[in-house]
Amino acid sequence: MSQQSLNAPGGGPDENAPDDETLTGGQTFASVQGTDDLLDEIDSVLESNAETFVRSFVQKGGQ
Amino acid sequence: MKRRVGGLETEFGLVCVRADGNRALEPEEAARELFRPVVAMGRSSNVFLRNAARLYLDVGSHPEYATAECDDWWELVAQDRAGERIFAELTRTADERLAEAGHDARIHLLKNNVDSAGNAFGSHENYLVDRRGEFTRLPRYLLPFLVTRQIVTGAGGVAPAVEGEAGHGAGAQFVFSRRSDHMWEAVSSATTRTRPIINTRDEPHGDANLYRRLHVIVGDSTMSEVSTHLRFATTDLVLRAIESGRALPELGLGDDIAAIRAVARDLAGTAPLPTAGGGTLSALEIQQRWLDHVADLAEDSETDVLETWQRALDAVRTGDRGWAAQNLDWAIKERLFTQVMERRGIDLEDPSIERLDLAYHDIDPARGVFYALQRRGLAPTVLPEERIERARTQAPTTTRAHLRGRVVAAAQEHGVDHVVDWTTLRLTRQGAMPVQVMDPFATEHPAVDALLEEIRAQGAAAADPPLA
Repeated sequence: MSQQSLNAPGGGPDENAPDDETLTGGQTFASVQGTDDLLDEIDSVLESNAETFVRSFVQKGGQ
Repeated sequence: MKRRVGGLETEFGLVCVRADGNRALEPEEAARELFRPVVAMGRSSNVFLRNAARLYLDVGSHPEYATAECDDWWELVAQDRAGERIFAELTRTADERLAEAGHDARIHLLKNNVDSAGNAFGSHENYLVDRRGEFTRLPRYLLPFLVTRQIVTGAGGVAPAVEGEAGHGAGAQFVFSRRSDHMWEAVSSATTRTRPIINTRDEPHGDANLYRRLHVIVGDSTMSEVSTHLRFATTDLVLRAIESGRALPELGLGDDIAAIRAVARDLAGTAPLPTAGGGTLSALEIQQRWLDHVADLAEDSETDVLETWQRALDAVRTGDRGWAAQNLDWAIKERLFTQVMERRGIDLEDPSIERLDLAYHDIDPARGVFYALQRRGLAPTVLPEERIERARTQAPTTTRAHLRGRVVAAAQEHGVDHVVDWTTLRLTRQGAMPVQVMDPFATEHPAVDALLEEIRAQGAAAADPPLA
């Protein structure tokens, strides 16, 4: 069972869902892999002129 | 109101940079490039789309998208996401044109609320409320809820360090919502200078004898569908409680603006906030009181809302971020910033963190960090992509948006010039009579049917011009 179905609109408790322990274990595993991979991807964003980019983002206020 | 119409207006931040990060185009020029296909199609940078939403260029060169009127909050989330996709597509094609013209320039649209100089722009929620609902009474009950709901629906972020005399300054700090520092009044008609939590602009876009508009401008732009849904679903419940005429929890705060800033910085949710009655309450207490209060009037279909709201409060109360860090924007960011700081050996004041915050709100599905988290299951995906895709061209079917969407779609298909706004539909030919639909819940209207007939007839005539 994924996070999607946990939060799906109108979705109640799913009787076929694995018990909490399986769920937590599976998610933790997926998250560790996902996180390492994600942090690599983020490094590439942060290593290319982060500070200059931030300074370039100046706009008049809205609303 | 049992059924309520609501809509969300999002102003996007805009920056156009070269590969080295320096500014390539001024925001005005970049916005012009972005809107080129819109102006070509609608002869204006202010158009209504087939999904009945409004897309336009606002003050300060902020691209803005206002969802059509929705009476279902998941539909609203879908319509809001559809707006992101529409602007992402406009950004992609603008970048292609810039590249073809030999420019080293890339446009980023950021669904956030503040630029690097501290200029703010908004995410405005609109709720239709009963005219006879005594608007003067409403803020007294709604304000404590709005001041504290950031512990659930805040986008998270870093409040910059503040310099003070003799070491009384404060270092940069992770907060539930940066918006709190841009709030100056509880209720007023201002939008830019002394920005209020509730704006009194009363344009109901409907029968003003029956309805008025509640314009809530305290919210952060949220990336998580769970956060966006909770903003509307919980506020709607609180409004229903206020409208019910039942006795309400008296939680009025002594100073809403001092409180909203204190709440933003209190990640435990327990700081005592002075109340108007002379006692104190914490943000957690106020939210829990409202949640408990509305539980009886929630419908069966809203059980999920109550459960999710409770989980969000538990995450603050217990400090166990397990669920929140994969579902709520502030907690997703809190975890992400911590991981990146550890990995790079930096602190919150490092420019990389501000860059990361901006990247989190970048609406490009391929480059945005929120979407990168979503692909890895580290941020929620509630709505299937097909539903978001459908919302790009299909208006909500249960409100007046359905009528507007049909007229815009027919007029576009048949190449008939038209002008529409929230209440009025009209062809631009001379002598054309405007059709007004003042009921935001109307999904059928004889005059709109006649207008659709006329559009088809005009289109047929243009496609098949008479001989001679």
